[in-house]
Amino acid sequence: MEQSQELYDAIVSGNAKAAHAATKAALETGADPMALIASTMIPAMDAVGKLFEEEEYFVPELLLAGRAMKSAMELLRPLMAASGEKLAAKIVIGTVKGDLHDIGKNLVASMLEGSGFDVIDLGIDVAPEKFVAAVNELQPQIVCMSALLTVTMPSMKATIEALTAAGVRNNVKVMIGGAPVTRQYANEIGADGYSENANTAVALVRTLLAAA
Amino acid sequence: MTGRERILAVLAGEKADSLPCMPITMTFAADVLGVKYGDYVRDHRIMAEAQIKTAEMFDFDYVSTISDPTREACDLGASIEWYEDRPPAIDEEHALFLDKAILARMNAFSTIAGGRMEDRVRGIELLRERVGKDLFVEGWVEGPCAESADLRGISRLMIDFSDDPDFVHALFEFTVQRAILFAAAQIEAGADIIGIGDAAASLVGPRIYREFVLPWEKRLVDAIHEKGGRVRLHICGNTRRILGGAASLRCDMVDIDYPVAMDQARSSTGIQQVLTGNLDPVRDVRNGTPETIASALEALQPQARSPWIVAAGCEIVRDTPHENVRAMVEFARTHQPFGIQ
Repeated sequence: MEQSQELYDAIVSGNAKAAHAATKAALETGADPMALIASTMIPAMDAVGKLFEEEEYFVPELLLAGRAMKSAMELLRPLMAASGEKLAAKIVIGTVKGDLHDIGKNLVASMLEGSGFDVIDLGIDVAPEKFVAAVNELQPQIVCMSALLTVTMPSMKATIEALTAAGVRNNVKVMIGGAPVTRQYANEIGADGYSENANTAVALVRTLLAAA
Repeated sequence: MTGRERILAVLAGEKADSLPCMPITMTFAADVLGVKYGDYVRDHRIMAEAQIKTAEMFDFDYVSTISDPTREACDLGASIEWYEDRPPAIDEEHALFLDKAILARMNAFSTIAGGRMEDRVRGIELLRERVGKDLFVEGWVEGPCAESADLRGISRLMIDFSDDPDFVHALFEFTVQRAILFAAAQIEAGADIIGIGDAAASLVGPRIYREFVLPWEKRLVDAIHEKGGRVRLHICGNTRRILGGAASLRCDMVDIDYPVAMDQARSSTGIQQVLTGNLDPVRDVRNGTPETIASALEALQPQARSPWIVAAGCEIVRDTPHENVRAMVEFARTHQPFGIQ
């Protein structure tokens, strides 16, 4: 299917109303929801990620693009559910226990969702047992954890230990991020990956899924 | 030279006997005194005691009342999560200005007495009384972007820039009016400098920074100067694209966090700007060794040139080995500022 230029532009420019209208128009002309995601929405969010990496876009622009993309998904989700179509992979994400910071986690969730993944956001201050319950219930391929504080980073380790104790650690790939988090720390606690920002998180998910 | 004289000399562009050293300590200082951080942020006497003990133990040039970003928001009635041994945090899901209409009902000039803002003012009085003229005493206020993020919720504020610019300006004006009252009280209490913490400003690009943040930061900086205070601008994170604008504020000191290369920071801010920083608090300072820290600072000085103050880009984290902090001070004490004879 051809790209919907209107939808692409609406997402890249962060215009939620225009994205909603463009999606509606595309569906009315017979566009397939999955094809629309693949041909237009994923390339649009890739472009947004590239602009972020090039320091042309910053956090407000990422959030606006994410909101525009969500307004399109609102129209597509019911159609996909009705036809039984599924997104590429399921990802559970949350800010770890004791940490109330949500913006980094929101950015990663938004970029992943815009890149065609089914993202379940558990919110902030998420206890290890809540991550375990989500893995049991939703059976995601990936678990993403965020922390902004050095004092809450140990909750990442506790969550991985809880996943192990529950016997589900090998069912998922675990990736972590946040300002004080390092690759070294990811290795120390047995995470499968570390990402420095929202854009590289998308690439990391793709790498981890390819290796699975 | 005393620590205070050393910092004042650098700020005045005069010769100092060595580089000043001003690492930000909060939870680290509480641990040095052996107190819970929840008590540190609630009781200025404990904070002052911890700051003095830390400054004496490590030979810092200053003491500070920076503690957490919630003092102003707390006094306005924002929902705060409290912890026994960690900084309090804003509950953004129930932000005070979740409903934008509430802003119009608030009085920016209501008293700052009787709560956590007054506790900081009392802390400055006590620190000044205890350290006399030996150490530099630092007060602290939240900048317009950071405080607005605390009151509105950071993700909401980031969207407001696009959806409702008039509201953002009204919100920034409100926060700056409060900050000016708070800064004035701290200057009167004896603060040598007022730190403006505006972390959220590093999340926006140059266009939004120039249009929204810079004018209100300037209003705050100018007001502090008018009241006889000095200003330290602290914006955590990657400020590379907004540093030129920040330099135009004429702050007495600008902190550079670790994501910005110090030579770039020097180019962006000019030869006269006092820069502070910028070791990575986790990778360099906590995870390093005295040797790697000394090497990192050796590499940093030619980039920072003068005027420069040794510090990490942000707070010294609480489990940092003491010998690593000593290594920072040792470097400062054994090195002269570049180019000032």
